[in-house]
Order: sequence, then structure tokens, then C-alpha cells
Amino acid sequence: MNFTAMGFKSNQAVADTQNTQDTQDVDLLQCDSEYLKVCGLRAAYGDVGVLHGIDFSVAKGQIAVILGANGAGKTTTLRALTGMVSTEGSIRLAGEELVGEPTAEIVRRGVAHVPQGRGTFGDMSVEENLLVGAFVRNDKQVRSDIAYWYQTFPVLGERRNQPAGSLSGGEQQMLAIARALMLRPSLLLLDEPSLGLAPMVTRFLFEQLKASNAIAGTTMLVVEQNAGLALSVASWAYVLEAGEMVLAGPACELAVNDKVRRAYLGY
Amino acid sequence: MGLALAKEGSRLHRRRQVIGWVLFALVVVVIPFLIADTYSATIFGNRYTVGLGNLSQAIAFMVAILGLNIATGYSGQLSLGHSFFVGSGAYLTAVLVNDFHWSYLSTLVVVVPGLFLFGVLFGLPALRIQGLYLGLLTFVMATVFPSIIRLEELADRTGGSNGLLIGSDLVAPSWAPTETVAEWLHSIPGLGARVPDGFTSRQSEAVYKYFLLVIVAAVCFWLVRNILVGRVGRALIAIRDNQLGAVANGINLAAYKTLSFGLSAAVGGVAGTMLAMHSGFVGPDEFGFNLAILLIVGSIVGGVATLHGAVAGGLVIQFVPHWSGQTQTLPGTDIALQGPYGGVILGVLLIAIVFALPSGAANGFRQLKARFMPVVPQAPARSVIVSPDA
Amino acid sequence: MLFCRLATTLGTFDISLDKLSDGELWLAQFFRGLSDGATYASLALALVMIYKSTGFINFAQGSLALLGVYLVYVFSVEQGLPIAVAVVCAMVASALVAMFIERTFIRPFPPNNVLPLVIVTLGLLLIIDSAVGIVWQFRTRSLPSMFSDSAPIQWGIARLTWRTIGNLGAVFVVVGLLYVLMARTKIGLAFRAVSSNLESAQLMGIRVGSTLGFGWALAAAIGTLSGALVVPDLLLEPSVMLRVLIFSLAAAALGGLDSMVGAVLGGLVVGLTRNLLVTFLDLSELALATAVAVILVVLLARPTGFLGTVRRERV
Repeated sequence: MNFTAMGFKSNQAVADTQNTQDTQDVDLLQCDSEYLKVCGLRAAYGDVGVLHGIDFSVAKGQIAVILGANGAGKTTTLRALTGMVSTEGSIRLAGEELVGEPTAEIVRRGVAHVPQGRGTFGDMSVEENLLVGAFVRNDKQVRSDIAYWYQTFPVLGERRNQPAGSLSGGEQQMLAIARALMLRPSLLLLDEPSLGLAPMVTRFLFEQLKASNAIAGTTMLVVEQNAGLALSVASWAYVLEAGEMVLAGPACELAVNDKVRRAYLGY
Repeated sequence: MGLALAKEGSRLHRRRQVIGWVLFALVVVVIPFLIADTYSATIFGNRYTVGLGNLSQAIAFMVAILGLNIATGYSGQLSLGHSFFVGSGAYLTAVLVNDFHWSYLSTLVVVVPGLFLFGVLFGLPALRIQGLYLGLLTFVMATVFPSIIRLEELADRTGGSNGLLIGSDLVAPSWAPTETVAEWLHSIPGLGARVPDGFTSRQSEAVYKYFLLVIVAAVCFWLVRNILVGRVGRALIAIRDNQLGAVANGINLAAYKTLSFGLSAAVGGVAGTMLAMHSGFVGPDEFGFNLAILLIVGSIVGGVATLHGAVAGGLVIQFVPHWSGQTQTLPGTDIALQGPYGGVILGVLLIAIVFALPSGAANGFRQLKARFMPVVPQAPARSVIVSPDA
Repeated sequence: MLFCRLATTLGTFDISLDKLSDGELWLAQFFRGLSDGATYASLALALVMIYKSTGFINFAQGSLALLGVYLVYVFSVEQGLPIAVAVVCAMVASALVAMFIERTFIRPFPPNNVLPLVIVTLGLLLIIDSAVGIVWQFRTRSLPSMFSDSAPIQWGIARLTWRTIGNLGAVFVVVGLLYVLMARTKIGLAFRAVSSNLESAQLMGIRVGSTLGFGWALAAAIGTLSGALVVPDLLLEPSVMLRVLIFSLAAAALGGLDSMVGAVLGGLVVGLTRNLLVTFLDLSELALATAVAVILVVLLARPTGFLGTVRRERV
């Protein structure tokens, strides 16, 4: 098989590849057709560099996943995409440069971000949370979208007037995802959606995400520690190590890659 | 132009430190003789006259800011009512000197423990009331002090609105070597021309007061420094930076927080005594809200959690309003100025400092110094990791 | 020693029975307390607006109100506009000034670090107060009121004046409008989202800067209104709003810094306590001290005031 790996570790990565199955050959440096295209992305907190020039891209309508250990820079990558850390390099969304834009403007271009820890508005009601999610929309379908999410996550409908802070962790994660999708984003960024949730809830959430992707064609970039689950949903996967992209390829192939298996799948 | 790189703790670095301190001490000693007679200068077309008394007051302010820094800078409690402690110290001294005929310095025996106790008592509610609520409470306290002093029931002790003239002069003792030093300085060519050839009694009193205040201030700074570099200081900083973490590491939060308020108040009280010594007068409005704000300004401008920041801050809050009060025309022009420009300047300075230097002028000074006299920091010997086969 | 004296003097306080049983005096002080309380409440509302959205106390709120009151003076006395029109003009003008200040001095700072911002507001307090002193000097002036001092209802010395009614009415109208704004409009939704979770609000596409600028403008306009309500009872001079600010801070602390209803309740409680204590205990010099005592007692019992939410510590 033909993994497309980046950086100076690419040769080694290719050498590690044992699977010979033939797959699509993607030249990442010439992927102008890619919906999200990131080149030489660097990010730092103060003097501490976290990302050291990473390249990756996500095709339109695709679900991509970034795997990596704690501190590899996954969360920082997502935060860089929505302008929440100081960033250098290039982030192009449908050809438009995002680096240097304030967060609110990036979101207004259709990028929704479900942050780690959910970031729900704890003292506002569930319904108000969803309304804020649609803040930048001006169309008439906001109400019907809310009704749709109440249908999808019935528990949210039951608690529509309760403060979001009173929901359980899983319910808050559902709310956070529904709130992000209220934007009707073209790109959804998800930061550890499974964190602290029961396996069943996690599986349910991922099914819903996959359904959204299928129905609305929302492009998704997921950062996840639960590598097995993430790889089963995603079509493309990246591996981030210490601020550098070390591996990239179709999810089904990374799932059987020995290195990935040993490091992230644990068998 | 930069000096050679010095290792921290090296001989070169030590020598430089010693030279720095000697120079500083020299300046502190020589300045009063230079401005014992008021000193005038023309700054941008405006006459500016400064007397030794102004410097003495600045020294008292330095100590007041030092006290504020203990509570706010080191243990991170927003205390906007430090003037309350300073005023209490000043009035305590005034009453003891006037009604009980104590000497100024001996009142410290009452002021320090009294204010410490008061600070501890004040620190108890501060355990429960935190952050901005505490800031708000202390801010309101600062505005209340004058009205307590004006209480009719207390007026025969405090003098009410009229303030209290302290009926005791500080006369230099006969053994004070003021004249000798002055004559000696006078004989130095160049510099000597500025030193008067013999002092009037008012001048020698001013010089004596100045040195007295310098000594009190030096003792305060030395004691506070010793307290803050040790266990107590580390505990306070830990509380400021992460309260929960500090508690988890066995720091007794209640004890250290009240202790910090007690220390802060005690040092503030000493500053009050110094102000009373300096002016021989206490008035209710001198210790109101304006002083509270001024001290905050001084603390921030100097750098909240630094000791030499208190020195810089004291100079700023004394001389900026003093200078602007004498400024008649806009510097460099003929446009007449009228009104409280000092407030505008201090406000602008305060905001500018927060904009430019997140941790105050003292930090800026340190950065500047690091530029010209680079020092390589050395890890403490204990923390060096010794490999097993070494 | 001082405490001993205080104790003996407390014993001599004039708490005579005829004073306490004088119904008219009670009522008169009750009305005055309500009127004062309403003005404290309105400035407290401005403080709460800023605290809710940004998590810090704007110590320059009183100074902005001071500037607003002088603008009222300029528009009404100097330009000859009717007082109500002058108040509206001054509210708009002070809102613009506040937006400018927010934009220039507040927005450059990261909004999650409160201490530098508090310091900046203290700096603004110094600048604005001094600037007002420079421009208008320290001469006292009198300012006309929007409401007449005649009393439609009167029992002996107890007069319920139009001014009292007007002050109270104005505050309730402001609270009502604010409530509608917050609960029913999109800008109110944005405002609440920002105050609830700043980072998430950004991630919803809310422009935090302009939302906070709007909060500042609104707060300044309310502050100006409170000045226009209170100053006619006093005299206009550059330190007039400082005392009001103290009582308003007390009111805001009492009600809880993030509760609008709390601010109004707190204002009324402070106004009433102040007037009743001062009258019945002869504490005229201690009017300010009563404010401290009230704050201290309430905060000890409830560290976040009557109605404030218990928040994560932000200082």
C-alpha cells in the first residue's frame, strides 16, 4: 500500500508499511481540490512551540481524524484552525486564507468547533444554547433545526428549559454537538468528543456524527483518543507526534498499521 | 554599550552588586545635603522647586507601598483600602505624641503590634470574601476613614475636620554629625558649591528627619525582604498563584492570608507614623480615597511583587503630582495649564505601564539592566541532577 | 482606647422613643430612602452590566457618570435644551465616549485576565475625574431635575414627591427595558453568551469586542441617567459622583455583582438603611460607614451577595 507520510519521517513510515493493498494515491502537496488545506502550520503558547510546521488537508464531505498521544498538539491544531492560538503558516478553507482572522470571522465562514470540555453556556437553558449556536444565521429555519435536534437527541428536548450546566456529561456533549451543527457548518471540528463519556454514549454520538456527515455532507475533522472508534468512522486519518505529522492515510489502512495498532489501539 | 557577561553568584557579579549598593547608599546620603536648601530647576520652561521634605514624604510612601505589596502583590488579595491602615497608624502616632507625650519613634511600639492585630482582624473576613468583592469592600473602607475621624465623639482626640497639629518637634540630637558631613561635602570641589556652608535650624531638622525616615524605611524593607524570601514568602506566592494547589501542599491558607494582612497593615501603620513624623500634622482627607488610589498607582507603576518597585512607586506618586502642581504652562509652549493635571498624568502613566510592562516599571528596569549588565542565572546547587555513575 | 470612647458614645446616642414612634418621620425617611435607593440602584445596574459581561468592576463607572452629568449640565443649562432632552442627549454622548474608551483602553487586553483591567479602570477614574476638574473647575453648580419637587401625597412631614416617584419609575423602566433586551433580543443573547463563556461565545461567531463595547455604552448611558437623577438633590461638583459610587458599589455587592434584580434590591436596601440609620441613630457622619457595615455583614453571610451566582474565582 502507499501511505502518504510527511516530514522527514516519511521514509521510515513508508518502510514500516507492510500492507500492500492498493489504495488511492494522494499527493498532499498538490491537493488544490482539498476543502481544508493546511501548510506549514506553526503554533505556540508564549515561547513554547507546540506545532512545528504541519501539513494536512481534508477533502470536502470527508471525515478525517487526527490521532496522537497527550501533548502531541491535537487540541492546539484545532484551536489554530479557529484562530484561538497565535499561528503561523497557511490555513485555506475553500481557497480562502484563515490565518490572522479573528475567531468570530472564521466561524462566520462556516467553521464550527466543539471544544474540549464542551464549552456549553452553563447558566443558559438548553434551548438558548441552541439559539446561540445559530447566532450568525439569518434564515427562517432555526426553529425547525432545533426541533430536528430535539428529535435526534430526545433528552435535550425534555430538558429544553433547564440550565445546560445541570445536564450530565454525555448530555452536555450532545448539546455541544447539536449547538455546533446549528450553525449549519461546512466544516465541523470536534475535540475529543468521547472524553469522559460512557462507551455506549460515545458510540451513539459517533453514529449521529456519521449520519450528519451523510445527510448534510458536513466535512469533519475529529481529534480523538479513542482511536479504534475514530478510525471506524473516519475515512482519512493523520497521526500527530510531538507537533509533527508523522503518518497519514486512509483510516481503514491505518487501523491495520502495526505502529498505529501498537501505539494507539493497544493490541 | 554592554558590560561583560557575569555569572550569577560569581565574583564579578557580587562585586557589581556591592558597587551598586555602595553607589545607592552614597546617593541616599549625599542628596539631603544638596537639597536641604530647596533645589530649583527649570524643566521645559517651568520652574520646579523641590525640598528635602518632599523626598521624606516619598520615603514614607515607599513604605506604604511596600505594605500594600505584601497583601496584593505577594498574596494576591485585591486590597484597595490600604490608606485605612496608613491613616490609622498616622492618627495613632499623633494621638500618642500629643496626648500622652510619647516620642515619635516610641509610638511604633504601639503602632506595629496594634496595626498587625487590626490587619489580622481585617484578614478574617477576607478569608471568606474574595477577589473583586474584597476589592470592593476595601475600596469602600478607604472612603470611610475620613468620616470616622470626623466623628464628633472622637473629635477632641482627632481634631475632627481641622486635623491635628502634632505639638512635638523632631530636633536633631547634639551628637548628630550633620554639620561635620556638610562641611566635608562642602569642601569637595564642584559638588561642594551646592552644599550650603552651615545649616539653619530648620534645615538641620529636615536633614535629621530625612535620615530618621531613611533608617526606619531601610529597617522595614530589610525585615519584609527577610520574611518574603523565606518560607512565608513562598507560601504567600503559592497561595496567590494557585490557592487550591497551595492548600493541597499543606499550606495553612487561613493562617497565611491573615498573616499577610497583618504584615501589610503593620507596615502600612509604620508608613503612617512616618508621614506624621514628616509633616507634624494629620488631617482626615489626607488618608482618604485619594491616598488609596495613589498607593495602588505606586504599587502598579513600580511593579506589584517587587521590593525595589516600592521605591520607584513611592518616588512616582510623590513627585508626579508635586511637579505637575507647579507646572504653569504646557511644557515647551506658552499654553497655560490650570487644574489637577497630576491626576491626568498619573492615570495616563498607570494605563501606559499596564499596556507596556505587564509587571511594572521595576521589571522594566530589570530588563533594562539585563540588557547592559547581563547575568547568567545559575541553578541552585541542590537541584542539579547527579547521575548515578557520576 | 478609641473603642472605649466609641462604646461610651454609642450609649449616648439619641434613640428616644418619640423619634421611633413618630410615624411621619418613619414615612418621610422611608420615602427619602426609596428615592436615594433608586439612584444608587441605577448606577449599581451599570456596574452589574460591566461585571456580567466582563467579570470585572469598572471603578471608572462613577467617573463616566460624572462626565455624563456635566454633559447634561452643558446641554440643559448652557445650551438651553429642555432637561429631559438634555438627559437623553447626554446619555447618547456618554455612551459614545464609553464605546471609544472600551475600544481604546479595554479591548487590547485579554479579557480573561481581570487584574490589569481593574487597574486600567482605576487609571481612567483618575484621568476622567481630573479632566472634569480641569474643564469645569471646582465651582459648585446646581442642576435642574427632570421631576418636580412638589408632592402629590403628603402626610405631615412625610412627602411623597414626584421626584421620588420619578426616580423609582426611571429605575424600574430601565430594569424592564434591560430585561427585555437581554431575554428577547439577539444582542441580549450575544451579551449573555459572552458573559457565560467567552471562548464559546467566540466559537458561535459572536463578535465579542463589539458586544462588550455595546455593554459599555449601555452601562455609561444608565450611569448618566443615574447621575441626572441624583445630582439635582445635591450640588454639581467634580467629586459628587464618588459618594454615589460608594453606595452603588455597596448596592451591587449586596445584590450580587452579576444580578440586575439584585442591584435594584441592593440599591433600595442601602438607600433605606442609610436614611433610617442616620435619622434614628443620629449617625450623619457615619452614613458612609453604614454602607461598609452593611456590605461586610451581608458578604460574610453570603460571599456573593443576595442574588449573585457563585462563580469560579476570577481574580
